[in-house]
Amino acid sequence: MSTQFVQAVWGGILFGSVYGLMALGLTLVWGAVRLLNLAHGAIFVVGSYVAFFVVSKLNLPILVALPIGVLAAAAFAYLMHLIFIRPVIGKPGFDNSTLIATVGISIAVSAAAILIFNPEYKVIPPIISGNFTLSDVQITKQGLLVIGTSLALFALVYLFLTYTRRGMAIRAVSQQQEAASLMAIPVVRTYGMVIAISGALAGLAGVLLSPFFFLNPNSGFNPMIQALIVTIFGGLGSVRGALVAGFVLGIFESFVEVYYGVAWAQPGVFLLIILMLIVRPNGLFGIGEVRRL
Amino acid sequence: MLEVKGLVAGYAGSEVLHGIDLEVNEGEGVIVLGPNGHGKSTLLRAVTGLLSPRAGQVLLDGKDITRWRPDAIAAAGLVHIPQGDLLFPEMTVTENLLMGAYHGPTWSERSARLGRVYELFPWLKERGGQLARTLSGGERRMLALGRGLMSKAKLLLIDEPSLGLAPLTTQQIYASIHKVKESGLSLLIADENANHVAGLADRVYLLETGSLVRQGPADELLRDKALLESYLG
Ligand SMILES: Nc1ncnc2c1ncn2[C@@H]1O[C@H](COP(=O)(O)OP(=O)(O)O)[C@@H](O)[C@H]1O
Ligand SMILES: [Mg+2]
Repeated sequence: MSTQFVQAVWGGILFGSVYGLMALGLTLVWGAVRLLNLAHGAIFVVGSYVAFFVVSKLNLPILVALPIGVLAAAAFAYLMHLIFIRPVIGKPGFDNSTLIATVGISIAVSAAAILIFNPEYKVIPPIISGNFTLSDVQITKQGLLVIGTSLALFALVYLFLTYTRRGMAIRAVSQQQEAASLMAIPVVRTYGMVIAISGALAGLAGVLLSPFFFLNPNSGFNPMIQALIVTIFGGLGSVRGALVAGFVLGIFESFVEVYYGVAWAQPGVFLLIILMLIVRPNGLFGIGEVRRL
Repeated sequence: MLEVKGLVAGYAGSEVLHGIDLEVNEGEGVIVLGPNGHGKSTLLRAVTGLLSPRAGQVLLDGKDITRWRPDAIAAAGLVHIPQGDLLFPEMTVTENLLMGAYHGPTWSERSARLGRVYELFPWLKERGGQLARTLSGGERRMLALGRGLMSKAKLLLIDEPSLGLAPLTTQQIYASIHKVKESGLSLLIADENANHVAGLADRVYLLETGSLVRQGPADELLRDKALLESYLG
């Protein structure tokens, strides 16, 4: 196998699992709450900075910082729900006000990160360091960890939604909210739970990815845009779609990058998406206007 | 058990219910009869919290539940089987049934409850893995009833059990509601056809343009053909 090919496959699988991990949280929130959470990248940043703080200021190991960062991101997302989402649930201006609120939160988080830390790039250590080579391509162990974590989380979320009482309740709320409330399912609390889970996923992505991309006050932006693209490609609200689309786009992007150069990667991805949306306007797994969990 | 006092409810700009007084006693089958558009669904929705009443009170076993959220009212034992079924379309038949038992204490008894619902509707067991959105109208109605029966209801509120069904399916549905009644569950049924509910009803209320205009024992009211004809047409 040529080095280029191995490089493209490895990069594609790595990108794909990163995109999928970010898209999973977005698609869950869209599917259940019908909220386009543009603060998803900000939550990613909150998780990474908290982990950075724990590692560099408290001098604790990254394995301790990881769960703290994840919990902080979940708590931040839940707080966002309490303050900005919950008060407008069921009100006519829900879409507009939450869109503005989540953009506002993103701006506030990056400003806060500049004030508290500074705009310089930060480094978070990997959970596992080291690498080995395969056909002259460097395979980092952290990369393998990211891929494994992403796949495991997709499996976990799938099992949770399919087989547990609360997971099934999330699907019920997402498919027929009124009936869910008549079955004694607390709809608003379920929203809060989904938003917190999504926040935890974003925070985890933040801590795991920062060793690759470094950390700065806006480092959540690109992953979120990629995740939005993946979510739209896979079908808003579809968990399976987020997984498949994450890998399709990641591998596609990686091949374009390796064979045609970095400059073609983004335009190539957009071209693919535009073509796909012409053929399937609701995304790969979107059925009809609404695809529910 | 259920007491509704002076209930006023409606939608933006229009008042639909103008002060409803109604009660359902333990083990009773109570029917609200009224033509299409006179406020039967609005009444059930206001009682179970889907619609916030403008005035009046809803009491369950003497406790004021008027402004409770629908999930809390359901948890307290008022279980509403809504008009139009409102199934979970992308869930299987079994999953839909299980959601009926969501409430904590009931969830632990879900297997036993599934067994009882399957006895009433054996069909639901055969089709357990089928998605709800692929079912026919009659099948949907049975699933909606079965899902409601999975709960630990004190009182089942059923909105137009036969709406949109063929005559044969209609008969089957009322036959199963009969069995539910015989098991001792209290029922509040909204309907527009007096013939359907004859055997189910202990007491009847007649609803006309948002007000209850008559009430009485079923064997008295339902026999008064002239009266029914003037109300229901
Ligand atoms: N969501 C709604 N918004 C506004 N008006 C409604 C709504 N639902 C019902 N109505 C009106 O309320 C009145 C009573 O309707 P409804 O309670 O559905 O009657 P029924 O169940 O007896 O057929 C009707 O005039 C209907 O047009
Ligand atoms: Mg009705």
